[in-house]
Amino acid sequence: MKPPILIIIMATIMTGTMIVMLSSHWLLIWIGFEMNMLAIIPILMKKYNPRAMEASTKYFLTQATASMLLMMGVTINLLYSGQWVVSKISNPIASIMMTTALTMKLGLSPFHFWVPEVTQGITLMSGMILLTWQKIAPMSILYQISPSINTNLLMLMALTSVLVGGWGGLNQTQLRKIMAYSSIAHMGWMAAIITYNPTMMVLNLTLYILMTLSTFMLFMLNSSTTTLSLSHMWNKFPLITSMILILMLSLGGLPPLSGFIPKWMIIQELTKNNMIIIPTLMAITALLNLYFYLRLTYSTALTMFPSTNNMKMKWQFEYTKKATLLPPLIITSTMLLPLTPMLSVLD
Amino acid sequence: WMSKPNMIWINTTTYGLLISLISLFYLNQPNDNTLNPSLMFFSDSLSAPLLALTTWLLPLMLMASQHHLSKEPLTRKKLYISMLILLQLFLIMTFTASELIFFYILFEATLIPTLIIITRWGNQTERLNAGLYFLFYTLMGSLPLLVALLYIHNFMGSLNFLMIQYWIQPLPNSWSNIFLWLACMMAFMVKMPLYGLHLWLPKAHVEAPIAGSMVLAAVLLKLGGYGMMRITTLLNPLTNFMAYPFMMLSLWGMIMTSSICLRQTDLKSLIAYSSVSHMALVIVAVLIQTPWSYMGAMALMIAHGLTSSMLFCLANSNYERIHSRTMILARGLQTLLPLMAAWWLLASLTNLALPPTINLIGELFVVMSSFSWSNITIILMGINIIITALYSLYMLITTQRGKYSHHIKNIKPSFTRENALMTLHLLPLLLLSLNPKIILGPIY
Repeated sequence: MKPPILIIIMATIMTGTMIVMLSSHWLLIWIGFEMNMLAIIPILMKKYNPRAMEASTKYFLTQATASMLLMMGVTINLLYSGQWVVSKISNPIASIMMTTALTMKLGLSPFHFWVPEVTQGITLMSGMILLTWQKIAPMSILYQISPSINTNLLMLMALTSVLVGGWGGLNQTQLRKIMAYSSIAHMGWMAAIITYNPTMMVLNLTLYILMTLSTFMLFMLNSSTTTLSLSHMWNKFPLITSMILILMLSLGGLPPLSGFIPKWMIIQELTKNNMIIIPTLMAITALLNLYFYLRLTYSTALTMFPSTNNMKMKWQFEYTKKATLLPPLIITSTMLLPLTPMLSVLD
Repeated sequence: WMSKPNMIWINTTTYGLLISLISLFYLNQPNDNTLNPSLMFFSDSLSAPLLALTTWLLPLMLMASQHHLSKEPLTRKKLYISMLILLQLFLIMTFTASELIFFYILFEATLIPTLIIITRWGNQTERLNAGLYFLFYTLMGSLPLLVALLYIHNFMGSLNFLMIQYWIQPLPNSWSNIFLWLACMMAFMVKMPLYGLHLWLPKAHVEAPIAGSMVLAAVLLKLGGYGMMRITTLLNPLTNFMAYPFMMLSLWGMIMTSSICLRQTDLKSLIAYSSVSHMALVIVAVLIQTPWSYMGAMALMIAHGLTSSMLFCLANSNYERIHSRTMILARGLQTLLPLMAAWWLLASLTNLALPPTINLIGELFVVMSSFSWSNITIILMGINIIITALYSLYMLITTQRGKYSHHIKNIKPSFTRENALMTLHLLPLLLLSLNPKIILGPIY
């Protein structure tokens, strides 16, 4: 689409999220959410085929319902506390409603059904924005109301999200669906410690955004959307294959890579609060996640497929320039493994 | 990475040898039973022999891999060497870690280069499956370990320096403590395979390239033993009865895997199962928790490391010539390669624990301490020793003696490199039998 329109729409998306994050009046937060949602619909529909239209319609429906639920929760809170300031929510019904609304926006289970279908129907770039930027706004609200969230509800959602994210991704070959299920699982990990230590959630969110951005950029380098097309990469970009290997292992949470940091910290916080079985279960189902990441790496980096794809196309060099910013960030954050606990205390 | 193309092997091998010399000088100090910490978070190693073993093996691995990588492009060779060096680095840090969580992180970290070596440079299509089995068995066991370590960290205040566990309290007997014990131990049980969880080992050993097999057999299994020795002394002063099922599994499994060795046709698979059997002895020793058994466990670990690695090198020399691992395809090698037959003989003899070698010292200590634990185990141990002798001699006779098969008359003679490899493996074994005090571990 034409550049000025694109700029305006992108600016609206960013402004929407900024308004959500920076305001303390519930009405403004709702306005920010609506701005964000309305502006991202044209981005989702960039390709203009029926699949994209279906995806953006599904996205619109779920997000609009969630916003309405949020508004309902806000109104009940207004009724019981008489003010619009975002702080501790006095009424449990309001807090449950707000929590369900925000988890619907995030794509936590049991409201996760829209995530794979929407992610599959849109382009890789829009999928990247969807899975990373769109998570910031609801997470910031959850961060702000975290003292008054019902722990049982959120923990249940988190646990089922991790399970769904693990098992759902097992039978997929489409990369976008795999990333969607990985997003569901990671959101589950984040939701699990909001009520205990919200700072860890921010840490997890940051690292998850970094890793997902890098993954999408690597996928966009050779426009691959299936595992099969990813396996042709050893011929054209041999360096990228090892990048994908390390990135996938980091997403799966293997030490000593940086994907291990959030899992370790989350398990530490949960065990400090005397919950032993839940982190064990979550950790073991994270192995399911690791399995399909590993399968991806097998087909890209670790085996030589007999299909020699010798198409030496001219790549668009601007992609290679953009991508080199982020994977080094992933790799260098592995060195930060012993330092991050100290940083989070200052937060 | 910065060497000229035809010098990469030589450079890395010499550096590796130098590093191993350094480690020998620096860390065989703890003979007089004092623990000298070298740095802040690298403790001393009361497992100094394992460290020496690790550093000794790196140049040997490099020497062993030269042949099968000779046809690869240069970048891939350098990648392979970097993977080996990275693995080495992680292993060195693991053995000198002084905090259990650091140890855990590095324990998992050693999995990644090993996985890459096995799946990228292995030889058959089953290696994908083998890598998966390897990774997931180990991770499934070690994730509860992470949770348990963090719980203990909160409960006892610190896991640092591993000797500030002077303030351990005896664990009372409750269900949650039983699960804690299980969570701590299962990771190491999988790693040095306990009989019921050993499925990853034959797959991984058989599919890995030679350097991968060497390092797997020699050092990675010992990681499990080392971890168990750390955790049992420091965290479980009271739950002795929890050891019973694992003892029984180990004792029974020892005999089972040795008997499987008698019916193997695949050479590498035979050596892999013999590794399981020897490690089962180590598990028995560590679970009994007597001073003699610890000495036996340490000696057995070092001896088995060198012996298994040597056997894998010998099997690989066969494989490189006939590109098949079946034993009966390459019979009668004594008439064709007599010097190699001498190494085969010595390796088989040390495998079956011939008297003055340290293999025997290890096994003897373990047998004696298990006899003192319960009189009946001597029967099982005796049966195991007999069967071990049986399959070692079976392997020796099948490959060396008898008339050679017609089709192997035109195999290449042994390279100097291979002979050097074998001597370098064997020399520490034989020399240590002169002074086994070094490897007897912390309690001597």
